[in-house]
Amino acid sequence: MALTRNVSADGKVVTIKINGRFDFSVHQEFREAYDLGRGKASDFVLDFANTEYIDSAACGMLLVFRDAVGGNSANIGIVNANHEIVKTLTMLQFHKMFKIA
Amino acid sequence: MNAPPAIKAATRLADVAPTEMLMAQSQPLKILVVDDEAVFRTLLQNLLEKMGLQVVAVGSGAEAVASFMHEQPDMVLMDVMMPGVDGYQATEYIRDLSGDSFIPIIFITAMSDENELAQCVMRGGNDFLTKPINPAVLQAKIEAFSQLRRLYKAVKSQRDELAQHNHWLKREYEIAEGVFAKVMHSSGLNSPNIKYMLSPQAIFNGDLLLAAYRPSGELHLMLGDFTGHGLSAAIGTIPVADIFNGMTAKGFPIPEIVAEINQKLQRILPRGLFLAAALMELDAKNHKLSAWVGGVPDILIYGAEHKALAGRFTSTNFPLGIMETDQLDCHVESMEVRPGDRIFLYTDGVPEARNSDHALFSQARLEQCFNDGYEPSVLYERILWELDQFRGTHEQSDDVTLIEVTVDPSANNPQAPSNALAPRPPSEWSASFEFSAESLRGYDPLPMMMQVLLETQRLHQHKQRIYMVLAELFLNALEHGLLKLDSSLKERTGGFGEYYQEKERRLAQLGVGRIKVRLRHAVNGSGGRLTIRVEDTGPGFDFQQRLEQLEKNQALHGRGITMIRSVCESLDYSGAGNAAEAVYPWRFGDGSE
Repeated sequence: MALTRNVSADGKVVTIKINGRFDFSVHQEFREAYDLGRGKASDFVLDFANTEYIDSAACGMLLVFRDAVGGNSANIGIVNANHEIVKTLTMLQFHKMFKIA
Repeated sequence: MNAPPAIKAATRLADVAPTEMLMAQSQPLKILVVDDEAVFRTLLQNLLEKMGLQVVAVGSGAEAVASFMHEQPDMVLMDVMMPGVDGYQATEYIRDLSGDSFIPIIFITAMSDENELAQCVMRGGNDFLTKPINPAVLQAKIEAFSQLRRLYKAVKSQRDELAQHNHWLKREYEIAEGVFAKVMHSSGLNSPNIKYMLSPQAIFNGDLLLAAYRPSGELHLMLGDFTGHGLSAAIGTIPVADIFNGMTAKGFPIPEIVAEINQKLQRILPRGLFLAAALMELDAKNHKLSAWVGGVPDILIYGAEHKALAGRFTSTNFPLGIMETDQLDCHVESMEVRPGDRIFLYTDGVPEARNSDHALFSQARLEQCFNDGYEPSVLYERILWELDQFRGTHEQSDDVTLIEVTVDPSANNPQAPSNALAPRPPSEWSASFEFSAESLRGYDPLPMMMQVLLETQRLHQHKQRIYMVLAELFLNALEHGLLKLDSSLKERTGGFGEYYQEKERRLAQLGVGRIKVRLRHAVNGSGGRLTIRVEDTGPGFDFQQRLEQLEKNQALHGRGITMIRSVCESLDYSGAGNAAEAVYPWRFGDGSE
């Protein structure tokens, strides 16, 4: 399983954990993960603790994800990302669109 | 030969009804029966025909091979022991003839020794039946092979279809690649001061490299990296290359090109697809490097003097095609560079190259190359070498894009546009422009004026020279007339950078002042005469003294005046020195640049 999904007890916080490489191959799974029960969720957390690498296609998927869950009003946090991933996201200025912790 | 009673029970013949499966096919299976014993042959033929099958029966191995060719049966029942060409040999021939289609061959034999039966399969048979034949077993085997044969056919046709698709796809890629290559063809990349490594599959990796010169001689270079791979990544390169090449040739500065590309991509790209890019302008004559970086790794500058990293441009902007253009910061950063300095651009394929242990080459390793004191002329090769050493045999460097630009004031456009149209017949016309301080603050009107000039008289073959004259006069009026900048600033070390910083500072604060430009064209024999007059509301300058200095070759500045004079028949100043008028003559046939 490249991806696991966790919902808080009140259904408000959806945590998606991506394992291994985050690239186009997890596209379908990733979409299902945030589409599922989207109505109730107000916050999304992407846990990159086990994510080795993110490619540009996955960065594109992040933008689609952000649009799907509210665009500018979306509340998305990225946690536990490794140094290289943070660098990539910062290079793309994604720290201005996602809360990177 | 010596066959025991062939068919176990003739009565059972009647029991054998055509089965659905064997009949389901549009055409009944055609079975080739090979046996040298006429009785057995006939019995078998009757049996098979009762099953609804079409039968061709022959009495020898040689006949079997011949009728295999003519009849093209779907399956063969083959006696082993026959005089002349025996069953094994006939099978061998038939296998050769049937190529890659699947023709089941079942041996009919009186042998019962296990080793001999195994031999049947070793010699190319798919199965065997021992005499006497049990009709039910025979039918079951034929059904099983018929099914297998259908399966084989389906797989084969799918394989062929796939191969065909693959072939088409490859062809389409080749065509697309040809189109892309033409669009991407940037004559600027042939400059002797540019070295680059671009994967042959770059276009389908979404990588984009463009270089072109502005009419005023500055080099524009763009490195881009589209999200994803394949055609979807490549498709955006066409509009981007068109905008970049077109606007650069018309003299537009980087910020306007960035805005235009973003605008276009924002409109055409689906969400999730974007272009990480760096665009730079190198004005080598004025030691000025400007860049806009959005989403690609740092541009690194190697200083020739100290043989060390001399500066960098870091991504501070969103990649193109994500944000609305009014939310995108299109401004460039600038720094001073010196002749001989090296500018390096690369995609993330360089720092993210991996070795067999899956370790990254990393930005740190890349930058280490800049701190080892290499001669500037070898650094590019050194980086590629380090990269190769690091990767070892792990991967080919086919997703590495690396560019080196040398700051060389003498480098210029290696190839003039050969498809420039001839000028229109000379006519009388004029156009005037007046720019207030407000419009000058946020807008560079040179490309627009050039456009008018080029469109009206179609003087494309004279573009570079006319641009130079217009730009010199206009920038003099702006920088010295209105902004009162002192050229002597440029002579100090680091002065170029300071000069341009000061220019930007003063321009931002410019409150009053105007520049008037008047273009006047007149017929002159078989050609024309273009008069460019630029007037500013500044205090002017002592042009008499400047001109005298130039005569005596004493002036430290005013190279612009010399340059204008080299292509114009006259250059005159009037008023307090705040009005300049240059006359550029042209004739048909001259001026190919």
